[in-house]
Amino acid sequence: MLAHGRARLITRTTTWGRNAHTVRANQEDSRWPGWELVVGIEVHAQIKSRRKLFSESLASDLGSTPNTNVSAFDAAFPGTLPHLNPKCVELGVRTAVALNAEVQRKSAFDRKHYFYADLPSGYQITQQYAPIARNGRLRLEKGDITVRIKQVQLEQDTGKSTFLPRNRITAIDLNRAGVGLMEIVSEPDMRSPEEAGSYVRALQALLRSVGSSDGNMEQGSLRCDVNVSVNRTGRPLGTRCEIKNLNSVKNMMVAITCEAFRQIALLGRGVPVTQETRGFDEEKAETYSLRSKEDAPDYRYMPDPNIPPLFLRKEYIDAIRKDMPELPAATRSRLLAQGLSQRDVEVLMDVDSGREVGYDGELGRGAVAYFDEVSKGRDSKAAVNWITHELLGQLAFRHETFTENPISVEQMGDLIDLVQRGTVTGTSGKSILRHILSTRTTDLPSKIAEDLELVAVSGDGTSLEKWCQDAIAALPEEAAVVRRGNVKVVNKIMGHVMKASRGTAKAQDVRAMLLKLLQS
Amino acid sequence: MLSRSRCRNSLNLSHSPRRSASLLAKNAIVNALVTSNTHDLSSGSGPLSGLSIAVKDNICTKSLPTTCSSRMLQNFLSPFDATVVSLVSKHGASIVGKANCDEFGMGSLNIHSVHGAVVNPFGLGRDVEERRSAGGSSGGSAAAVAAGLCDAALGTDTGGSVRLPASYCGVVGLKPSYGIVSRWGVVSFADSLDCVGVLGKNVSTVERVHRAIATYDARDPTAATPLIRENASQSFASQLGRVRSGDLNGLRIGIPQEYFPSELQSSVAESVRRVLDGLQSRGATVVPVSLPSTPYALSAYYVISSAEASSNLARYDGIEYGLRVEPPPGANLTKTANVYAYSRSRGLGKEVQRRMLLGTYALSADAFENYFLQAQRVRALVRADFDRIFRTSSALHSNSSKAQISSEGVDVLMHPSAIQTAPPLPDGVDGTSTDSSSLDAYVQDVLTVPASLAGLPALSVPAGQGVDGWPIGVSVVGQWGSDELVLEVGEAIENGHS
Repeated sequence: MLAHGRARLITRTTTWGRNAHTVRANQEDSRWPGWELVVGIEVHAQIKSRRKLFSESLASDLGSTPNTNVSAFDAAFPGTLPHLNPKCVELGVRTAVALNAEVQRKSAFDRKHYFYADLPSGYQITQQYAPIARNGRLRLEKGDITVRIKQVQLEQDTGKSTFLPRNRITAIDLNRAGVGLMEIVSEPDMRSPEEAGSYVRALQALLRSVGSSDGNMEQGSLRCDVNVSVNRTGRPLGTRCEIKNLNSVKNMMVAITCEAFRQIALLGRGVPVTQETRGFDEEKAETYSLRSKEDAPDYRYMPDPNIPPLFLRKEYIDAIRKDMPELPAATRSRLLAQGLSQRDVEVLMDVDSGREVGYDGELGRGAVAYFDEVSKGRDSKAAVNWITHELLGQLAFRHETFTENPISVEQMGDLIDLVQRGTVTGTSGKSILRHILSTRTTDLPSKIAEDLELVAVSGDGTSLEKWCQDAIAALPEEAAVVRRGNVKVVNKIMGHVMKASRGTAKAQDVRAMLLKLLQS
Repeated sequence: MLSRSRCRNSLNLSHSPRRSASLLAKNAIVNALVTSNTHDLSSGSGPLSGLSIAVKDNICTKSLPTTCSSRMLQNFLSPFDATVVSLVSKHGASIVGKANCDEFGMGSLNIHSVHGAVVNPFGLGRDVEERRSAGGSSGGSAAAVAAGLCDAALGTDTGGSVRLPASYCGVVGLKPSYGIVSRWGVVSFADSLDCVGVLGKNVSTVERVHRAIATYDARDPTAATPLIRENASQSFASQLGRVRSGDLNGLRIGIPQEYFPSELQSSVAESVRRVLDGLQSRGATVVPVSLPSTPYALSAYYVISSAEASSNLARYDGIEYGLRVEPPPGANLTKTANVYAYSRSRGLGKEVQRRMLLGTYALSADAFENYFLQAQRVRALVRADFDRIFRTSSALHSNSSKAQISSEGVDVLMHPSAIQTAPPLPDGVDGTSTDSSSLDAYVQDVLTVPASLAGLPALSVPAGQGVDGWPIGVSVVGQWGSDELVLEVGEAIENGHS
């Protein structure tokens, strides 16, 4: 405790550490020629644990009635004490491992003091000085950029405050108070708003894939504070400003751009940039000052005397490392290796990213898992086509998402088999798909095909002959033309047969039969 | 005057033969109990069957208010019982009511209370009736026992708050090893120092209650694990067995030379000497020892406890519970702290505010290194001092179940519990006092804080009277986890007296 107390004395400087420049070579950005943009991001991701970080209260769903998941501890009642939720630690370690960070064998908890109505105890329990993990990295696909992660720390979330202008009161909902958060602090390694957006999206995908967070900015399970500074190319780093309360990746990118222009404009006029905390006004597309450095509070960090230091045994960390769920990068390479195209993989993973994250690290089954099951022992290409083109297409047509897909792995697999074997035509297969979606039947496609008489009619079936004769009778003029030698017109008669067969007849068989009947 | 009549109105001690009019009258003077239990007072069955217990008002009870003697919580009803309260009830004791104390446990004289000061019952019925302090902060608990209002009382001891009032009132008071008794439901003053203690007329009563509450509670994150308790208990087993059987041979008692400051009343030192002579005559060995960090312990204690108090009391904002004072019209409401200030200024007493401001300063960026961190370094030195002189190593620090035992070390320490007998109650007992008198009050803790800083078990046992005829207490301090041994030595002292 004394060691990290000393760490506290290293005062926060206004400029970045010297490390930032050495990592990235400069690339000119046409939006601000001659200038460099330096971005660092602090992400707060809600830990998807069933219970809160230090109390037995359940985590709330969106739309829970306010103040229903609040224990005496969450409301800071006298005489209550914290109890660390081991699930939160496990999910934090999983995240750290996924970020290639060094999980600390010993970490500790501090109290960060300030007064605010959504903070019942008057302090937040956090891990400022001895976090659970340090020195990680996240690789961004685009541009082959690596962003270094300074630390990952566990901390409490606050309650939610809503200002009601009509009554001029602030309403406090403590459902969220005490929920576990992972604060993921990056080094200032990003050089453009696009890189920042890419980083956040990659982080979201990673968190969801390990099951530690929903990572949803719009729903509030992921929040970003962005640090931005500018400097002329080749010159030392500038003073940074922090932008808080960003609620989407898009807004974050716009805010960074606005802030860059603002700082460049100031410096261009010879006015120095003052270090401050700013908010972002979406409507005006500009940042505004929330708090200057002078108003920055002294948080009076104190080691929390109720919480003993957290010791993690090597075996514990190793076990988590061994059972890590598949990370996005690994999924991507595996699917490509199976023969899927880049496009297929992108679509599949994009749909997969919408899957449910279960509580306490239970992994949800999404589109990728679905594909994995369906493609077992089958042609991957056929499987991915049926899933991404036919199934997703039909779902979209019905305004449904993959999460609402009622077609089981067994049903999908059976359908693909039927079409591949030729038992039903492709067209019939699509009909069966549509049928399952509308009726929600659990019958296997083989049974449905029989029930609906969609089983493909083979070339030597009597019904095929009958349909052809009916068609010829229905279209005497076209039949006569074909008899006279204009074979092309047989297509029109084919159309009639296909309609009568409801797609069960194979086109080439129909053609052959018609020609046989007309030319004999 | 006002506080006494307010107290009488809220009290109803008329439900059993024990609650006679004389007891009611006594409490009206002594002001030890602030609320009484009007429910069925027949106790259940169990090891504490037949025992009546008062509970200090900073320990949560579902059925009686828990005011912490503060205006901030004057009408506060906790939604749950503290673990220690459930345990004593479960084991058959009956809870007679809540005991007066210094506000939030901060005080050494029990004068900082919204219920008014506690008057030391020893002064009643003497030739010259004197209004003297019962000590603090568990003054009400000690006074209730001394006045016969109950058989035993639960208190809390952060820097001496059970031992000091025990010494002044002439009763037995135990501060257990830190982490041995659950703090779930005990309103935090300084988490790293707070302990639930027991007061009683004699050691065996205190031991009986202590045994019932010294169990592991998973809801207290600072509770010593069952394994550590077992290891500790094993390391003192042989010594305990011998002393229990009445054989004091081989018992080594250390006398720390730094605990006899010049301020010590001479009669106090004499009383301690008499006790030691008695023990020596029964075979114990008395050994002078030195704890050189002692002079720095008091300052370190006040820095640490005030810093932790400023943190623990940040929650009293009048939003979720407690006193809420609405800001007047036109008040600046832009900062939350401005809104809170009205409730906190009115709800928290002067002594509490003083300590919180000092504690806030100690944690501020400028002062943190020189005050808070420095105090923690001193605390480590104090701990090391004790570890050096005890025979057995602390079960908290060793990984193995086998404790290291040295032949040179001592089994327990003994020293005066206080530098004087009970001081007179100052004028203006509503909590106002000058700066110098509050510093004087702090000095009373000088002998008790080292054991608090080190988390060691300490027992104050009556050891005769001073020249003014008032009680003097002697303290027995043991290594961490040796609570039973300390109690046995205390019993031996008691036997020597009778």
